[in-house]
Amino acid sequence: KERREEKEKLRIRFPSAMSGEEEENAAELKIGDEFLKAKCLMNCEVSLILEHKYEQLQQVSEDPMNQVSQVFEKSLQYVKRFSRYKNPDAVRQVREILSRHQLTEFELCVLGNLCPETAEEAVAMVPSLKTKGRAHSDEAIEKMLNDLSLVKRFE
Amino acid sequence: MFIKVKLPSNVMIPAEAMDPNGLMIQRAVLIRLLDAFASKKATKDLGYFIALKNLEEIGEGRIRETTGEIIFPVVFSGITFKMFKGEIVHGVVRQVHKSGVFLRCGPCENVYLSQYKMPGYDYIVEGNPLFMNQNMSRIQIGSTVRFIVLDIQWKEAEKEFIALASLEGNNLGPF
Repeated sequence: KERREEKEKLRIRFPSAMSGEEEENAAELKIGDEFLKAKCLMNCEVSLILEHKYEQLQQVSEDPMNQVSQVFEKSLQYVKRFSRYKNPDAVRQVREILSRHQLTEFELCVLGNLCPETAEEAVAMVPSLKTKGRAHSDEAIEKMLNDLSLVKRFE
Repeated sequence: MFIKVKLPSNVMIPAEAMDPNGLMIQRAVLIRLLDAFASKKATKDLGYFIALKNLEEIGEGRIRETTGEIIFPVVFSGITFKMFKGEIVHGVVRQVHKSGVFLRCGPCENVYLSQYKMPGYDYIVEGNPLFMNQNMSRIQIGSTVRFIVLDIQWKEAEKEFIALASLEGNNLGPF
């Protein structure tokens, strides 16, 4: 009975999710034109930007943490934790490598954030790689992941 | 997903803040923009406002006759954070309940992963409450989890998003 109530509560709050009906679907790149065209940023890119801003604040304030919003602070914590690449050159290389593979900004950043190790993982994380009529072959995906693995993570 | 946005806005500078030569306009505009940006937590369309990047353009100022303030139309670039349905993303567990866990993803603290969407995981109390599966894989406070976003809702009053997560799918779960 508890299970039924819990399911019902979820269904009321998130009707489209629980019914399987979808308008927006990032897996199929159905995310609204303005976002398809927008420039997305990988966690490691955001980390460099936010860390730099924080450093600038440290120069003018004794207590920089007090000057930033909760949103900034939580975001900084998050991107620091989930960035595989810390060095600015490495970050640039990652974007450059991914940019060579006919990906949308969104797909590029999901790959750069989740760091799949095999083509199979990459397709599981970004299903649109195999749809949208672009047919990325497994070999092409493997090559891309190989190139990424050569980027030095720590300097 | 973090997104770089370019937005038009209006910035109001009180006449007293303008020096006689009208110089320092850019600085005054930027300071006010930073303030406005910092106080705006999130919007439904763009997500959470993380940081202002650049002041891209400043248009010609117009005097507001009633107050004597000067309004400058500007375009600025900034970074926002938004989750998309179907997006696969990383989060951190911050609370464990019998019915599911709450995850933090980016600046959003309200991502709910129901036990029904954690196939194979059962609730146990091992000192601390946690979810565990047959392979002894654990989901507990501090665990990093890869999940898929099932749905997102905007809460106008709190200027917050809540989201529903799932581990149903390949390569999803704690790591």
